[in-house]
Amino acid sequence: MKFVELLTDAQVQRIHEASLEVLETVGILAHSAKAREVFRAHGCHVDDTGLIKFPAAVVERYRKLAPRSFTFHGRDPQYDRTIPDDGPVFITGSSAPNVVDPMTGEERRATSTDIANIAYLVNELPGYDVFSISTLAADAPEGQFSLSRFYPALKNCLKPVRSNTPNVDDLHDVLELGELIVGGKEAYRERPIINHHYCPMVSPLTMDVESTEAVMWLTERGLPVYTSVVPNAGLTAPLTLVGCLVVSNAEFLAITVFQQMVREATPIIYAGLPTVADMRTGAYTPGAIETGMLLAAQAQLARFYNVPAGGYIGLTNAHSNDAQSGYETGMSTVLGLAAGATLLNMGGLLSSLMAFDFAKAVIDNEIALMNKRIWRGLEFSEENLALDEIAAVGPGGSYMGTRRTKAGMKTTGFLPRLADREMRGQWEQVGRPDIQARAMAEAQRILAKPNPAVWDEQLDAAIKARFPGIVDGDARPLTVARA
Amino acid sequence: MGDGEIFAKLKQSIIDQDQEAVLAAVDEALGAGIDARVIIDDGLLPGLNVIGEQFEREEIFLPELMRAALAFQAAMGILEPIIRESGGTEGPSKGKIVLGTVKGDIHSIGKNILKLLLETSGFEVWDLGADVDLFAFLDKAKDVDADVIALSALLTTTLVGQRDVIEALKEQGARDRYKVIVGGGATTPEWANSIGADGWAGSAYDAVNLVTRLLS
Repeated sequence: MKFVELLTDAQVQRIHEASLEVLETVGILAHSAKAREVFRAHGCHVDDTGLIKFPAAVVERYRKLAPRSFTFHGRDPQYDRTIPDDGPVFITGSSAPNVVDPMTGEERRATSTDIANIAYLVNELPGYDVFSISTLAADAPEGQFSLSRFYPALKNCLKPVRSNTPNVDDLHDVLELGELIVGGKEAYRERPIINHHYCPMVSPLTMDVESTEAVMWLTERGLPVYTSVVPNAGLTAPLTLVGCLVVSNAEFLAITVFQQMVREATPIIYAGLPTVADMRTGAYTPGAIETGMLLAAQAQLARFYNVPAGGYIGLTNAHSNDAQSGYETGMSTVLGLAAGATLLNMGGLLSSLMAFDFAKAVIDNEIALMNKRIWRGLEFSEENLALDEIAAVGPGGSYMGTRRTKAGMKTTGFLPRLADREMRGQWEQVGRPDIQARAMAEAQRILAKPNPAVWDEQLDAAIKARFPGIVDGDARPLTVARA
Repeated sequence: MGDGEIFAKLKQSIIDQDQEAVLAAVDEALGAGIDARVIIDDGLLPGLNVIGEQFEREEIFLPELMRAALAFQAAMGILEPIIRESGGTEGPSKGKIVLGTVKGDIHSIGKNILKLLLETSGFEVWDLGADVDLFAFLDKAKDVDADVIALSALLTTTLVGQRDVIEALKEQGARDRYKVIVGGGATTPEWANSIGADGWAGSAYDAVNLVTRLLS
């Protein structure tokens, strides 16, 4: 597939140069003393306030050390995914505080049981490749904020699990959990099944302390960690799309060279969540089409740097599974994919990342599968031109009974489980179910049986012995309100 | 030129969000011997009231509201020292607000907008910045005898910092001394309710109305 490009080659080059100029003349404010030391030791100018100025040659030297691919590891190696070579990787949206209760339809605080259910659902839905832990756990015992998220997630999902931790103590706990699961420190080095993600760059042009030092710590140890740049045009970046790209590209380069300075050849992703604020009120707009456009441009910049690309795309501002929710997720993901983004954090969240919704996750699975169908492309070949069949069937004939039609009947067209293709009369006969009802029934069907992905009791006992008081982390059948 | 015309000019320059014109009108008013306090009350504030109404009716956008507030703040930079020098008071404060972004979170843009809008609305604001330790909120609120503690959080993972401040206030037996309000990208009215905050606002503009209501 030839990728959609919103920038010319000369414009990409110019944005790169402009970013170098910003890094050299404006600089990045680093709040972490450890990070300042890394920059100083590798040729950047650091002043007393923590302002880092980057000579262009330093940026060029270190950014070129970033490898071209990034691998996500799962509990089961068959679910390992490397981008860009394995194609687009679809991921749930992450860290929403709330969930839309499947029974009442009301938003409430999410719990570790919700996380267990979501993990099981993501494990079963073929559109998703990686589970980014979708919510927080309001029932977390004291001191187990992150364990109460990672334990139910890892327990119920064989696919790679991705998330962040708010502080170093939590980070150590979840890594110890990971080591218990794979059978020790050595085994974990081979198969690091927790895929870390942070936002150390705070627009405009600032690096925080906690996330920066977590990224540094993980990078030093060769554990998988990547970052996102999150500019909000009009508030934390210029209100021009290319100005926003310059700021976020400078931020991407800063964190990328930081990781390479800490450890050369550390795999990274050019990931982001660029938004354009709604200037009527300042409202946050991850559902806006400009997020799709900016991520498409970032995918092009990532190709220039020869690193994998993607990020949060196709998230929605909508509060229910209505048309807005569908078109915001659909339009931006298609644009990002067509532009070559292979990491798409798009699934399951409503209300600008504030709430997880089970039906939304099932609908987004279908959107992910449709995107993967696009990625597979037209499958051009001499054989597929089907000239022999065209001649054999001739004018006025039918292709229904041919060899190729039978061969392609399950694969040429993507067969959706949710999209309704019946006649109106049949839809009326079964009670006019809308997409919400169909998706929720599917979630309920999937979660009705015990989860075969759960590990054995011996391992579970070891985890519970190491972390007394930990949440039970078990999925439960979904009680759903009847439409 | 009559005073009436000068007041009209002060008001209109704020409505036009034209900082240069605001400063020129302030100069002219001072030259005409108008009292600094009167310049604010009868010239600039009527202009800000119009701006507020226009914003609520969605006739103007957030950047326009901000530019008007910044123009007002620039005028205050000239007028406040004059009022202080002449021994006058700056007018009754509408309330004391201690403001900051909670521990672990360095997002500050929304908080900074709120600070500007609170100040232009006549509140005294102590801005503790971002990544603020919970005890810094408590200490500052006690120091200045604050009316309101305003807590911002953008990251869902730092949200609990808002609850921590409220819990710490309870432990110190100081919960009833202050109104505590929360806001920021990660917050919802339900969250505010669940942690026992006195109020929640979805935008900086709404937060000013909330503070006004809580202290009236």
